[in-house]
Amino acid sequence: MTAPIAANIRSLTLTLAAAFLVTSVGVSYWTIIAADELANDPFNPRLIAASNDRPRGAILDRNGARLATSERGASGFVRSYKDQSLAQVAGYASLQFGLSGVEAAYAESLIGQDRADPISIWRARYLGERQAVGSVVLAIDEKIQKAAADALGGRRGAIVALDPRTGAILASVSVPSYDPNQIVDPQRQQTAMDRLNKAVDHPLLNRTAQGLYPPGSTFKVVTASAALESGFDPTKKLRVDDPYQPDRSWGDYFVRSASHAHGLFDMSVGFRLSENIYFTQVALQIGGGKLAEYAKRFGVGTTPKLDLPAAKGQLSDSGVIDRPTLAADTSYGQGELLVSPLQMALIYATIANGGVMPTPHYATEVRDAEGHVVRQIAPGAQGQVISANTAKALTTMLVGAVAGPGAFAFGAKIPGVDVAGKTGTAENRPGEAPHGWFVGFAPAQAPTVVVAVIVENASEGGVTAAPMGAQVMRVALGK
Amino acid sequence: MIQAQVGVPVGRARLTELSLLVWVGVLAVLGFVAVVGAETSSFGVASIIVPAVFIVLALSLHVFLAARRFRGDQVLMPIAAVLTAVGLVQVQRLASDLLLQQLSWTIIAGGAFAATILIPRDLTALARFKWTWAFLGVLLLVAPLFPVIGREINGARIWIKVGPGSIEPWEAVKLLLVIFFAAYLEEYREVLAHSPRRIGPFPVPPVPYLVPIVAMWGIAMLVMVFEKDIGATALFFGIFLAMLFLATGEAFYAVLGLALLLVGGFVAYQLFGHVQVRVDTWLRSFDEDLRFGAGYQLVQGLYALANGGLFGAGLGNGMPDRIPVVWSDFVFDAFAEETGFAGALALLALYLLFLYRGMLIALRAPTTFLQLLAAGLSFIIALQTLVIVGGNARLIPLTGITLPFVAYGGSSLVTNWMLVALLLRVSEVSNRMRGGP
Repeated sequence: MTAPIAANIRSLTLTLAAAFLVTSVGVSYWTIIAADELANDPFNPRLIAASNDRPRGAILDRNGARLATSERGASGFVRSYKDQSLAQVAGYASLQFGLSGVEAAYAESLIGQDRADPISIWRARYLGERQAVGSVVLAIDEKIQKAAADALGGRRGAIVALDPRTGAILASVSVPSYDPNQIVDPQRQQTAMDRLNKAVDHPLLNRTAQGLYPPGSTFKVVTASAALESGFDPTKKLRVDDPYQPDRSWGDYFVRSASHAHGLFDMSVGFRLSENIYFTQVALQIGGGKLAEYAKRFGVGTTPKLDLPAAKGQLSDSGVIDRPTLAADTSYGQGELLVSPLQMALIYATIANGGVMPTPHYATEVRDAEGHVVRQIAPGAQGQVISANTAKALTTMLVGAVAGPGAFAFGAKIPGVDVAGKTGTAENRPGEAPHGWFVGFAPAQAPTVVVAVIVENASEGGVTAAPMGAQVMRVALGK
Repeated sequence: MIQAQVGVPVGRARLTELSLLVWVGVLAVLGFVAVVGAETSSFGVASIIVPAVFIVLALSLHVFLAARRFRGDQVLMPIAAVLTAVGLVQVQRLASDLLLQQLSWTIIAGGAFAATILIPRDLTALARFKWTWAFLGVLLLVAPLFPVIGREINGARIWIKVGPGSIEPWEAVKLLLVIFFAAYLEEYREVLAHSPRRIGPFPVPPVPYLVPIVAMWGIAMLVMVFEKDIGATALFFGIFLAMLFLATGEAFYAVLGLALLLVGGFVAYQLFGHVQVRVDTWLRSFDEDLRFGAGYQLVQGLYALANGGLFGAGLGNGMPDRIPVVWSDFVFDAFAEETGFAGALALLALYLLFLYRGMLIALRAPTTFLQLLAAGLSFIIALQTLVIVGGNARLIPLTGITLPFVAYGGSSLVTNWMLVALLLRVSEVSNRMRGGP
């Protein structure tokens, strides 16, 4: 005879009762113990709803121009955004769709609870006191921002300008853009968001930091850095004959020259005429490993340290350069390379900054309601990527690439200023017009501004982008 | 002595039930007043009709039982009623346009309850047709996979089309399953528990006896993989283990079963995207890629819990409507936001009380079949509650199990009320045999 079932029923009931006890403890954790922390989580919609009753902090440009403010409306405070060209950067604070951009990245600061001010957090959390809100100051300069938006003139693409000495982002334009005021307007937000999510050209994407493109010839500075630092002599002349392949084993695979060149090239002519076959031979001489090492040192394939979301990019599909043809393609910025405009700006900022890579950042300060600085955002340098001598040599060659005889990037010239820069015409998908690039900095002797421009599907490639870069630099330099 | 107790006057019968129901009615009215008062926009004719209809329904069920001199348990029905009332208040609060629909389902559930009190005349008939139940259960289980009648809603293919709407056959399957296991295990539990073959201290029953059980389990697992509902799989497996343990008293089966579940879960995690998403959102709910994506609903639920605090925001004063589809899977978090930890604890206490009464009925049942049946049915309610509340509170991965009686949904309400009727009938059998109240 089997033992009576009663004992089993009792054990099962006790086990379940214990599980109920554990569950109750779990519920008490969220309702009581973690409650304060979650109640102040900037993404908690209850908090955004509360900002209906009191203003959210303002977002300002470096000169105090108001980019986003809270305005009193008929039914509480409404967020108002001034500059549509900054839509993806400033972001939105919507009860319906949450937060994005600076509104998300500095969400605590914008409700008066910056992490550098623990007392205000403590007071809000345990005393229910709400600080009068302060503001977040961006490095953006409205003048330069406007110049960048005008330069791009509504063409699909992006422009980013930054100060190579600090990494502060002075302008950041991503086209197409959208009107964030619609996203925070209860009447229009749903249709607006549906339209944005369906749009094939991704208006919500901050192309500056999140758009990934093949860099084309602008990448040649990385190949050159690797070569110069491995003892390669830049004055040595290499024979260029279009089309090129090192030996028959490449089959029907050839590297083509943009100018169908035949002749002897050194590195500065290679830069000036953007000669793919020259840089291919350089890459094959120093080897794919060296090229990969320098690409990684410049941050290709890692997510940039930015205070807003940024995309990672890649050196190649596999993360390494494992065959000579890939080394060849990578040397002039094609192959499987993907970078963001910000990443390219950082690479040129490193050259402009004596080989030291700055850390990019959009915001510079968090201020309290009285205007006192609560926190300074100055992330400093990321480290020495190339030697100061290499940086200097590259700068000289990049000046030649803009101003030298027959230079491809002549469109970037500014009267009275030495501009260093490089165009790129990046092949994308077959049958699609290539992307046009320009990346450069000025003044070459003591650079204060780096600009990266990409124009998607520009039939003339870099020729389209170079004058846009000049236009932005001119305003940044006050010329 | 026994005769004297049978002769209790009709007028005094089921007084406990009646007085408990009065409190249920008061709570239902208070709940509706609070919700409608806080949100005048949701006020409509339904706001008056619904509590009135509910109270009339609950009282008619009571009168129906009393008139039949029904001698089953007097506490379970009021518990189910108060939970149903909480459910109606929550539907009014969270999705008032679904209220009349939910009320209709409540009336149908009341009908199903009454019908189950009447049919079958003899509960042991359930045991006799156990293979019919098993077959019917499997058929219902695989029904959603068939092309014409099956439907996929929110990524789970667990619905079948019936007329204009769709029902979740799984809800009926859980009842059939418990009936089958109770009957099967009553017959074979000796063999299962006292096999001469043992591995170490553990019995290994002869293969022919294990086959039907393992087959049921295997079919269920396979179907669940194809229907993409891990909650139902977990519940199904839980019932299987609990029944096996109840019948044999071998904790070994339970431990082995749990180990199998973990292994199966791990394999499913590697193989199936939908399982991976569930586990990832559980482990890393607040990570950026998830809090705005797959984990959005869960994180919004946790915000709701946090807003609840000790005593809640007050009915109608929270923001539980920020949780997507809150009325079906997150009704617990919504209730906890507005009534606080105190309210959540009270709700859990009601389920614990239900479990206690149900298991008491099982303990007092005269036959092994009825014992297993009552214990299995009570177990279903407890396990469902634990799985969904645990999921809502991020203690375990979230699943689409319904919170019994409270969550919006017709199939679940109807079967749960049938379950209550079955428990009441088991208790009636014992009371009649012992001559108790």
